Formats: sequence, structure tokens, C-alpha cells
Amino acid sequence: MQNRPVIVAVGRTKFGEHYEKEPEKLIEEAWLKASVEADMERRNLEACYLSDYFLPITNKLGLEEGFLSELTELHVPMEVTRSFSSALSNACNAIQAGKYNIALVGGIEKMTDRWDKIRDDLMLLEDPWSYYAGCTPEANHELMLRAYIKKHGISGDNLEKLNTALAQVAVKNHLHATKNEYAQYQRKITVEQVMNARKEAKKTLGLYDYAPISDGATSIILTSEEVAKKFTDKPVYILGFSSATDYLTFPARADLTHFLVSEMAMKKALKRAGVNLWDIQVVELYDQSTVMEMVSLEDLGFSQYGKAWRDIYESCQDYRGYYKINDRELFVNTDGGLKADGNPLGATGGAQIFEVFKQLRGDAGERQVKSPSELKYGCVLELEGFGTKGYVYILGRD
Amino acid sequence: MSSEPIERRVSYLGDRLIGSCCSICGKEYFEIRDYCGACGRKSFGKMVDIDLFYEKGKLEICTLINEPTNKFTKLGSYIYGIISFHNGKIRVPGRLTDRIGKKSEEVDFSALEERDVVPRFRRRYSVDKRDVIPTISLAFTFADEYYPHQEYNIVKPHKEYDVPGIVGYGVYTSRFRIREANIERSVPFIDEDAITAAVEAGKMALIHSGVDGSLVGKIYVGSESNPYAVKPIASKVAQVLNLGEKDEDMQGVDAVDTEFACKAATSMFKDAASLVSYSKSNIQYAIVTGTDNSQAAPRDCPGGELDLFVGYGGCAYIFGKKDVIAEIEGWYSCTSDTPDFWRRDGEPYPMHGGRFTGDPAYFKHIRKAARKLMERLNLQVSDVTYFVAHQPNVQFPVRIAKELGFKEEQYLPSLQVAKFGNTYSGSSPVGLAAVLDVAKPNERILIVSYGSGAGSDAYSLMTTSQIVDKRKRQKMTVKYQAENPFLEYVDYTTYRQLKLGM
Repeated sequence: MQNRPVIVAVGRTKFGEHYEKEPEKLIEEAWLKASVEADMERRNLEACYLSDYFLPITNKLGLEEGFLSELTELHVPMEVTRSFSSALSNACNAIQAGKYNIALVGGIEKMTDRWDKIRDDLMLLEDPWSYYAGCTPEANHELMLRAYIKKHGISGDNLEKLNTALAQVAVKNHLHATKNEYAQYQRKITVEQVMNARKEAKKTLGLYDYAPISDGATSIILTSEEVAKKFTDKPVYILGFSSATDYLTFPARADLTHFLVSEMAMKKALKRAGVNLWDIQVVELYDQSTVMEMVSLEDLGFSQYGKAWRDIYESCQDYRGYYKINDRELFVNTDGGLKADGNPLGATGGAQIFEVFKQLRGDAGERQVKSPSELKYGCVLELEGFGTKGYVYILGRD
Repeated sequence: MSSEPIERRVSYLGDRLIGSCCSICGKEYFEIRDYCGACGRKSFGKMVDIDLFYEKGKLEICTLINEPTNKFTKLGSYIYGIISFHNGKIRVPGRLTDRIGKKSEEVDFSALEERDVVPRFRRRYSVDKRDVIPTISLAFTFADEYYPHQEYNIVKPHKEYDVPGIVGYGVYTSRFRIREANIERSVPFIDEDAITAAVEAGKMALIHSGVDGSLVGKIYVGSESNPYAVKPIASKVAQVLNLGEKDEDMQGVDAVDTEFACKAATSMFKDAASLVSYSKSNIQYAIVTGTDNSQAAPRDCPGGELDLFVGYGGCAYIFGKKDVIAEIEGWYSCTSDTPDFWRRDGEPYPMHGGRFTGDPAYFKHIRKAARKLMERLNLQVSDVTYFVAHQPNVQFPVRIAKELGFKEEQYLPSLQVAKFGNTYSGSSPVGLAAVLDVAKPNERILIVSYGSGAGSDAYSLMTTSQIVDKRKRQKMTVKYQAENPFLEYVDYTTYRQLKLGM
């Protein structure tokens, strides 16, 4: 890829409930952290790309660019999109085109301010027809799991293993989050707890299978290659990125057992980056549910279709901080994933980039993965809706 | 506040499950498409409208929803899943309805999946009482349970009659019942109301008659439980049933609500029959619908005595002059201002004037109408095969039948109140349907309705040979619905909840 965009600094808030803070305060906090890290002033910014999924609905706050302008006293071009990844792709395009040299990419969400109506909003925005038919934000995950089990003919002992594997995904992500000071849930859970929550709900997936509702903000400072040196000596490059789209209505899609968008975006991103799949060591998956983490392993090409549960199950028999797939080590959701780190929609992708950035630079502190070889490549998958959009970013140190 | 334009668009597509089919490649879409995604520009103008209203689908996969979104909480827990039509060419989201979820239940999804389902027209979800009622047909029930899948085949009529009459009919009651004081009464599911019952009954009348809905020029919907104080429900029924010639998004049909307590429907039989007989009206068929989620105050409140008798259901009769199954020989109607039952505007439940209810209300009007009509047509009691009276309870119709000189074999076949309760506007029409379900050709039926307030309509009908031919088209007969193995009995608390609706 020509004229690679460079991430020079990242910043974020803790995810969770921030009932005492205005949304602007959260984005301010995230931006300040990144700017301190890069030792950068506001006036260096040539453009801002902000994302929020539904701040105008949750906080009756429109024209977010105006708030950001007031906050920063900047009058540069600013644009708002719905996911961090879409904001980032706009920023990357601009930098690659040579239009800007320094841009701020920020993500913000304040979901708990509309606690009583948030699931209706989530579902209605995900797909109105499904909402009208009585769908909930959780139901599509359960249907995808049913379709998966049926398609791959998983039953008996294997079905039990699959259910355990999904529980292990949640347990593993909670374990990772204990070392993440920003995570919403910094506590361990057990497979029994996950299973009991399912039993209580009388369903295949329970409370611990789903990512929570969160507030939070994230930001990164993106520059062109030549400018990056001024701000950091440890640049992380965006080597390749791509996105894909699919139908809004999940039931209308051809295959209910995976996300076409993830598969397509990953293939293109790898090609653009010129990186082989198995050169990637660190992955941030979009685990809105444990099922999503499972199918995403397949969609990105790491596990074979219908086999990811087995890879997870076997890796978690004696979990060492990574999934062992194909005799290779894959570090997945080292920050705790959406499940434990939190999922403030518009900011979530920023936390995923944050994590891979820290890991690749060896700055992840307690969370730093112990890879047998030098960490070179990481990958981030972010989805919008229930697999209606998918973004993949390939990040690297060289 | 809901958005009326969004409501109009969503229900326009969702009530009939309207889609498009590419006539080049055969790809099908839910919702209207101007062109096919696969064929591109060459498919402009080649997309054909389809709808799934009379189709049978398959529940592919499902899950249990026990924490619904806010607007669905009154449904409790329910099954939600993915339904496919036309061997998977179209897949839509859908919820199973007519199923009372139990908090403690463990659902075996594999016992539900892969089974055939039928789309049902229902209320979509709860909204503020001030808002327009949202509806949808993304609600489904299993085809092998209470509500079978029935194909709608348009049949070219082959005989024209001199006098107008009934061409087809349909009865719909829910699958829920409450059993009290020796009678059973039908209870709506929580997403049902007078509108949905009118649509179901109309759908079955079209199936039974084989009449092309586009030839229906007028529909009357009679009810005393219209969920709107102001706004026609006949407009909804006409649109969902696709009546009259469709032009853009409008139906070439006249639709009107009628109200006269329990005779809101029977009163219009003569109007419908007259309309189809008037050559310049250009109306070949007219539908009369009586539909009620009969209202009653809770038992310990004023007017609560009605709570022991109210039922739920709808009836639809199609009138015309072609392929008639029962000719109308004559009618007589009478009216007096007798205040025995009323509901003031803004009040939730009707009041019941105990002083007038039997005589001089019910008995006086029915007696007068029946005797006058028999006199006019010069009929003896022995000339009548079946007698049908309005049925607010078991005693009244039996007493008036005996008083008029009818024998058990003449009045018992129509007596349905002990199976469904008083279905108000649908009460005597259900009785008539029960008789038409079993009548032989050339039998005379005398039906006398009663509507509080007060008045009666008497009709003399003579069955034709075609009554037998059409019978096989209808599985949802009165008997089928009364004696169905899938009926579910509910307790008083559940009954009140269901009746109150979403």
C-alpha cells in the first residue's frame, strides 16, 4: 500500500457507566491522552473524524462536529460516521490521498443515558423489519448459533463441547480484562457462571455470552508516514484495510452461519497489506456475543468453517493466553474483547485499534502477549449492525 | 408518538407481506423492488408484485424471547425465528403468535423447526393509546394446529341468479377459550382485536366463495368494539384483503364501518344485497362483516354482569348474484329507541339496562321482526328448516324460538353461544354460518338478529344446490373451531389480560 497511514498515539477512557459525565467530556479525555502521548497540540490537527452510532438518539445531541469544534477551538474539517472503523477509513483515505498529514479519529458513545430504551433503539437501527417481528438484540446471535449447529450437524458430545467452548470464550475474555485498567469488567468469571446464566434464562446463550451496554470514548492520532517521525519513534502502520456490506435483514441473507462481510473485508485487507494470514499474531474480534467470536475466527480464515468451536475448546483445556489453531498461536481479544472490555458502539473500534497498537509496540504492560516470535502484525475486525458492515484493518510495525 | 407516514408504509407492506419477483430470473424479494439486484437495469418494469398473505411458510430456526424490547413486553415470552417461503426463495423474520409463554418453560426448538407456518394478521406491538394501531403479518401459527393453511383459488362463476344472496362466508374465532358457568367463550390472543378478526373472517369468506377480491365493490364492517372512536376500520380490512381494483396504493372499493350494537352486520345484509342487484352500481360483490372483541367491565364493576357472556370473533358474508349458496327471499327490520345497552364516548365499558333486557328489548323486537316477515312471505313454522336468533346467552334464543313455535331440530343447530360466548355483531351471523355449514339445498333459514338500542333484522334465506359444492373449500367451519383439539383454556386473570390486548 502506498503512503501508509501511521498511528502515532492512542487514547481512551475506561468503558462502563459514566452517568456523571457529558459525552463531550469523554471524548475530551480520550483525545487528551492521545495528545499527551504524541506531545501534540490541537492546532496540529488538520481534520477530525468522529464516530458515534446513535448519540443524536441517546443524548439528543446532533451536529456533533459543533461540540468538538467548541471543545477544541478548532475550525478544521470534521466528519461524523457511525463506527470507529468507518471514521478511520475516511481518515486513512484522506491521508493516503495526500490531503491531510495529521488527523484525529475519535469514537464516542453514551448508551447508559438511555438505559430504558436502549435495546429498542439498538434493534430498530439494526433492522426495522426484524424489530417489527419481535426480534431483540440478542435473538439473532441465538438464531445464528442454531443455524450453525444445524448446518454443521453438531450434536451429542460435540454439542456439549461447543456450548462449553462458547462459555470459555467469555471466561477467557474476562480473564484478559483483569489486566486491562480501562475494561468495564475487571473480574474473572467461570464456565459454571456462564452456564448457570444460560440455565436461568432457559436459553442457549445467557447474560455472560453477550457484550454489555457501555459508555466510553477512544481516539487515535493518524498521520502520514513522513510526519509520523516528529511524534513517535515507534510508529504503527495501517498496512491494509477494507470493508464490505450486506443486507440489513439477517434472515434474508444467503448463509445464516457466518458474516460474509468479515470474510470479504479480510481477504481484501490482507491482499492490500501484502501480509499472509498466518503472519498475524494478535487479533481483535468483534465479540458482541461469544458466537460472534467463534464465527469470526472462521470468517477471517483462521479456523475452518464449522471447526472454530473445536479450536477454542482445545485451546481452553489448558489456556495459555492464546488460541492454538493449526499449531500456531493466535492472541485473541487480549483486552477482554467487547465482552469484558465493553462495547460503546461508536468507540468500540477505537479500543480494538488501541489494543493492537499497544501490543505491537510492546506497551501493553501486564497484558503484553508472550509471543515466541517478534510481534509484527495485528488485525482488527469491526462490524456494524448484525454483520451489515464489516471492516478489517491490518496493522504492523514495518 | 409514532409516525403516521412510517406506519402507513410499514403496514402497507407488512400486512399482506408484499414483495417483488423478477420475471427474468425469478429471484424474489420481500418489499417492493423496482429492479432485480441480480439482473440490474434490464429488469426495470419487469418486476412482478407478489404477496405472501395466503401462502404457507416454513419455520427454519427459532429461539425463545423472554426479555423482549419495550413494545413487546405485553406478549410475555414468545418464539421468534426465521420463516422461509417458496422453498427458501424468500426469508423473513417472524414471531409465533397464539402461544401463551410460560416463565418456567424449556422449549425444544427442534420440535418447532421445519414445520409449516401460516402468516397471521395481528397487532404488531403496544403503542400509546393515542397512537395509530400498528399491525403486521410477520406473526405466524403452525399450519398443523388450530389454523390450517388454505389456498385461495379464484373460481370463475358459472351461474347467475335472479335474486341476490350469500355467495360465500367465513367465521373466525381464536383458539383460546374460557370455560365458566357451563358455557365456553372464545378469548382473543393478546395481539388480536375486532380488526384482526374481521380480516380473518373476510379472508375465509374469500377462500370459501372463490370470489376475486378485486370484484368486491363495497365492504361493511360492523362492530361495537372498534378500537378507534374515530377512524374507520373497514379501510384497514379492505386494504389487507386487497378488495376492489387496486390502483397505485389505493383500493377501488367503498369501505364503511357500521354500528348498531349486535346487529351492526345483519342490518347491512339487505344493503349489500340491494347494491349488487342495482345494475348501475357496477358492484358485483359486497362483503358484510360483523366483528367483535365483545366488551364487558370486570365482574365486580358496573356493567360487569356481561363479563360472563362476552366472546370474541368475526363473521364475513359475501353477497352477489353469481354462484349463490343461499338466496334472500325477503326481509323485515324494526327499530325502537329502547336504551338497554350503551357505552358513552370515552367510557371503556358498556352499561347494561337490566330493566329492559329481556322484554321489551330482546323478545319484543325479535318476535315482531320474525312474525312480520313470516306474515309477509306467508310462511308457516313448518316451512322453515332452520331458525337462527341473536344469542346473548343460551336461555333467550331458546325461549323466543319456542314462543314462535319452533322445534329443537329447527333452532338447536344454530345455537352456538355456549361454544363461543356472545360475539356481539358476529352473534347471529355465527349461528347462520353453523346452519349453512350443514344445510342441504332448498332449505329455508329464518335469521333474526337483535341489536340493543334497539332493533331487529329478519331475513328469509333459501339454500341452493351450490351450497354443497362450495363446502369442501372451507376447513375452518364453525364445528371445526368449536371442537378443535388445539383449543387452549385460560383462567379468568389470563382471560382479562388477553381481552385487554396490547
